[in-house]
Amino acid sequence: MKIRSTVVLLALAVLGLLLLSACGKKEEQASTKPVEQAAPAAAPATPIDQATVGSISGTVKYAGAAPKPAKIDMSQDPACKGDNTVETLVVNSGNLENAFVYVKDGLGSRTFDVPKQAVTLDQKGCRYHPHVLGIMTGQTLSVINSDPTTHNIHPTPKDNREWNESQPPKATPIDKTFAREEIMLPVKCNQHPWMKMYINVVKSPYFAVTDKDGKYALKGLPPGKYTVAVVQEKLGEQTQEVTVSPKEAKTADFTMKASQ
Amino acid sequence: MPEGQIPEQDPITTKSYALHYTIAIVVLIGTLLWAMWDEAYGQRPWKRYQRVFQERYTAFLKQARSQSADAEKDLQNNPDFRALDDAYQSAYKSAAPKVQEINQQLAEKSAEILAVQSVFTDKRAYVNALIYDIETDNSPSSKASKQKDLDKYKAQQFEVQYPDGARKKYNFQQLEETYNELKDQKGRLGGQLGDLLKPINEAKLARDTWIKEHLLSLPPDALRGLQNKIANWDPEIVQINVAEANIVDRCESCHMGTREPVRLTAALMTSKGRKSPDEYALASTSHPEPDLLTIHDPDKFGCSPCHQGNGRATTSVEKAHGYYEHWLWPLFRKANMEAGCQTCHQADMFIQAGSVGQVISEGKFLFRQRGCNGCHRYEGYDREPEELTNIGQQIKQMEQQQRDNLHQASIAMQQADQTESNDEANRLNQRAEALRVENSKIAGRIEQLDLRSNSLLRDMKKIGPDLKEVREKLNRNWIPVWLHKPTDFRPNTKMPNFRLNDGQIKAISAYLWQTALTDPLPKAQPGNAARGKELFETRGCLACHSIGEGGDRIGGDFAANLSRLGEKANYDYIVRWIKNPRVRTRPYCAYEKKDIGPEDYAKKGLPYVFDFDHSKCPNDGHELQVEQMTVMPSLRLADDEVADIATYLLTQKKQDSSSYPDASFMDDPKLKAEGKKWIQQFGCAGCHEIAGLEEEGRIGTELTTEGSKPIERLDFALLTKVAEDSGKEPINDPAIRERLPEGPANAPWYNHKGFFEHKLAMPNVYDQGMIKSDSEKLRMPDPHLAKDQIRALTTFLLGSQETSLPASYQYRPEDARRDIQEGWWIVRKYNCVGCHQFTPGQKTAIETVPRYQDAKETLPPKLLTEGARVDPEWLLRFLSNPSMAPNPNDQHRNGVRPYLAVRMPTFFFSDDELRKLVRFFQALSQQPMPYIPQKQQLLTAAETDMARALFTSQAAPCLKCHATGDPTHDKIATAPNFLLAKERLKPGWTERWLIDPANISPGTAMPSGLFKKENGRMVFAGPTPPSLQNYPADQTKLLVRYIFQLTPEEQRRLSAQAPRSAAPAKKSSRNSTSGSNSGSAQNRRFSGATGAGGSR
Repeated sequence: MKIRSTVVLLALAVLGLLLLSACGKKEEQASTKPVEQAAPAAAPATPIDQATVGSISGTVKYAGAAPKPAKIDMSQDPACKGDNTVETLVVNSGNLENAFVYVKDGLGSRTFDVPKQAVTLDQKGCRYHPHVLGIMTGQTLSVINSDPTTHNIHPTPKDNREWNESQPPKATPIDKTFAREEIMLPVKCNQHPWMKMYINVVKSPYFAVTDKDGKYALKGLPPGKYTVAVVQEKLGEQTQEVTVSPKEAKTADFTMKASQ
Repeated sequence: MPEGQIPEQDPITTKSYALHYTIAIVVLIGTLLWAMWDEAYGQRPWKRYQRVFQERYTAFLKQARSQSADAEKDLQNNPDFRALDDAYQSAYKSAAPKVQEINQQLAEKSAEILAVQSVFTDKRAYVNALIYDIETDNSPSSKASKQKDLDKYKAQQFEVQYPDGARKKYNFQQLEETYNELKDQKGRLGGQLGDLLKPINEAKLARDTWIKEHLLSLPPDALRGLQNKIANWDPEIVQINVAEANIVDRCESCHMGTREPVRLTAALMTSKGRKSPDEYALASTSHPEPDLLTIHDPDKFGCSPCHQGNGRATTSVEKAHGYYEHWLWPLFRKANMEAGCQTCHQADMFIQAGSVGQVISEGKFLFRQRGCNGCHRYEGYDREPEELTNIGQQIKQMEQQQRDNLHQASIAMQQADQTESNDEANRLNQRAEALRVENSKIAGRIEQLDLRSNSLLRDMKKIGPDLKEVREKLNRNWIPVWLHKPTDFRPNTKMPNFRLNDGQIKAISAYLWQTALTDPLPKAQPGNAARGKELFETRGCLACHSIGEGGDRIGGDFAANLSRLGEKANYDYIVRWIKNPRVRTRPYCAYEKKDIGPEDYAKKGLPYVFDFDHSKCPNDGHELQVEQMTVMPSLRLADDEVADIATYLLTQKKQDSSSYPDASFMDDPKLKAEGKKWIQQFGCAGCHEIAGLEEEGRIGTELTTEGSKPIERLDFALLTKVAEDSGKEPINDPAIRERLPEGPANAPWYNHKGFFEHKLAMPNVYDQGMIKSDSEKLRMPDPHLAKDQIRALTTFLLGSQETSLPASYQYRPEDARRDIQEGWWIVRKYNCVGCHQFTPGQKTAIETVPRYQDAKETLPPKLLTEGARVDPEWLLRFLSNPSMAPNPNDQHRNGVRPYLAVRMPTFFFSDDELRKLVRFFQALSQQPMPYIPQKQQLLTAAETDMARALFTSQAAPCLKCHATGDPTHDKIATAPNFLLAKERLKPGWTERWLIDPANISPGTAMPSGLFKKENGRMVFAGPTPPSLQNYPADQTKLLVRYIFQLTPEEQRRLSAQAPRSAAPAKKSSRNSTSGSNSGSAQNRRFSGATGAGGSR
């Protein structure tokens, strides 16, 4: 009998312990993931070894008959002085002006310092100077009005915030920044319907607008494999894979043609 | 058995039951322990959720608070904050000595008061006792003697020892005065201190408010509050109990984060080291739409009215979510979450709160847009016929009431004549008078009901075209091809596929052909297709119609894709249609059940004219259906424009119309009877007007409460087993499988969702394996919906339930919100959203057309604040005649924005719709009705000069963009004429517009930043004209007054002076007057409608 009761007691004790341990099983220590910062401060620029940097340069050509630049009738506003021609496709002896060239891909997660100096957009002769510009995200765009008439600056972005501000003659410059990358962001003046230009907002400093001779240069590139894109308002986009070895000066020429 | 024999073994004493007892004890104790465990844990799985939530939330808050503290520190370095803080500190410092002094005085006074008080209260108690004694004494002599005692006591000297040690003696009165004086002094000091502290406290409040407004997260203090709350949490059932609605929801017992004021996502609540969130993390999130909870306070609405599930259950997740056999209201799945909205928002056509409401609104819209209500009744859709019957009854009752009143009145008068007393006679005569006046009131009401029934007749629309006119409209041979499978011809058509066999097709087309009208159409002149294309793409057709197929497709999907119109349609008909789609060949008389022709009019010697002004049947005077039952409006196009567009559309074809196989069987009279049978069988008349079948009823089942039908009553037929057990997908066609919102079934789908989704993807799926004759087969046609559309409709149907909530929970507001509710039905009915933006971010169909990508300012205007913008009376006139031209020959333009190529069409709204729309816009902008214009102060001559200087200043050249009425200038104008402002706009809105138009109509061509605040007034931001520089008030208000008082003469003068060399006027081939030759027979017949605006 004694043995039996001991067995029973033991069995009970074991059962109790089992149950206890089952009840008391602790949940593993929980902790939460770091909360995302609402607005991260600008990340410091990834260092670039200046000793190894190379460059990409070249010429953008236009295949096909260059259209004759059409003259713009600006008579609706007598304050618009001078000659003005349509700038949608400017070709000088086969070289394409005002094409935007930039490193579209290949920089990975590199970050860059935003230049302190502003990019200027001038309105003169009821015409934008320049017709195409590049700017880094966060860099200041300073719009000035050199005309004796009022303009309004009206960018119509896809991914940035839209704004539309009036700028009377001799007004203080309008300073703006763009937070997100956007290629060929159109800007217009509602009072002078012919006035139109494009802003290209990019994250890297490797961009250029082709000059009169269709030339561009992307300097200070760390060695690597890049996708270089050229974009033109009417002709669309073209890309090339370019590999830059240390200190190499690569040439990449483009030939664009009308899509049809 | 031998007697007296003692058993060898006494079963009581010798046999051991220890084992039995042990087993029993173990079992009993085991049961007890299990019961205890079950009570504490097994029945309370939510406890664990609470504990885990507590742990993780605590960790989260700790981190959040440190981040918030960091952010606060950052903000404290901000110059704005520093300025506010300095202001506070300096205010504090400058006042500090004085504050300290007063505080000290206060302390002294308090001590003195205390010293006096202790003596005074004691004595006062004694005095009061004595007085009471005197008052209650009945004997005058005793009273007098007690009075003497009192006076003696009061005259005694009492000593007060002050805190500074001084001792003073007072009699009772002095003591009382001293006490009151001290209290007054203390009060004055307190007041002084308050005045001193006020600027300090204000500066502190300004500083703290600044932090609060600039901190993106909750401030650290608030987070600490949350930390304390969660740290002190004791596990308990969290319950919402709303007795009046019988809601008992314990959901928050597990979902503890639901109402927390921080945003908790599953990722944030996942324990460290885990990749994907576990069930605890998923349950611990905060409600993703906190705004929704603000509108629907959970303490009133609970959770289950929106989400369903078993709110009372706490024993397991399955039970609580209602995912078990006997619970009729399982939790809505995430994709169909918005079904819950329908519980209370059945009366709404469009609902939106944050990002919620899109799916259910789309479902509600599709139900009408795809013609579901042609076969299925649904409460709230197609209200017109029912309301018409209702009104008919009301009128009858009222007429009876009038007769009764007259009868009563005559009795009263008779009695009055015979009664003896004058008073009584007067009373009776007054009663008779009141009854007659009552009748006049009833007459007014009847008149309004009559008008309303006229409106209702006009508001009735059919989703499909009028098939009485197929002979005039269509290529005969095309009809059978179309009926075979509409999507083969037009992939996105609204017309569903009916799975008709050849015999049915032949019979149906024969019936339609043989019953159709044969009246000849006026011959139309050919137009220019190239011009027609341009007009088609710019006048606004693409807001509803699309053209092109596949990737080339542009335009909206509200109406038909016109890519192959040239194969099916007759030119003359399309011309008439585009000119005015509401024109009918013959009016229909519902009373006689026949189409009335010229012969009926001729019999009565009446001209063959029928429109809204001539809408009575010549035979019997009943109201006629005088217009097509389409929602398509008239774009008020000139005849040559109409011809151009029709010509262009007729060029749209893949094959020639003559290439269709001959279908002369359609003239075979023997097919007609069979055709009628099949048309009735398939309910074609639900969507189309068909001769002889105008009064057909709906053939489908009512769906108002389809979602709460017991599952047994949803006929899965032979698929019941499949759906219940294996969850095998019965649909094999990969194209149709694509439509299933959740993809092919991989789990049992024997539930409402599974039924609806399969039914909508493939309506005859439940015929699988059944042996049925043609007339027994499931009739529902294939609506060829896309996946998202099926999801939306399923959501709508799942939410279509009989609710146990009290009627007060139904969203049927009686105030201005009802105007919004009713307005949306009209807005969606006529596809106003195809052109106009009503809510920020809403996409319109027309803005997707490529040509607008670069010219957004040529899009139709946004209506985000329309009610605040326009005078409702003007809006009423505009909506009835958007050309705003009094002259019927000058209709071919826009009234407000003639510079836009796109036209605001004439919709021929009924009075009822006009009233609702105007009220809708006013309500949407929180404007009261009726609108009372504020009186505009007349400008003084000096003010006029100042305002004119601003108006014409080189820096704000208003007239550069705004139209003036000068045709040369208006060619380049991009904004409305100022002369419209006075009648059209509200001045307050106009001022807000001047200050920042982008806040009213994002993307507008009108620039922002023209005015700025300076010294408390709004001034021009550019170089201000000298005359204006000393104007003391808001320049914006001045300019608004000037605009509202602008005269045509003044504007003409200014516009002539404007520095502008007139641009050489290009000869326009289609200026707005070219429509003056538009008086074709059809147009005249419908002139009453077109010119409706003039008569309003």
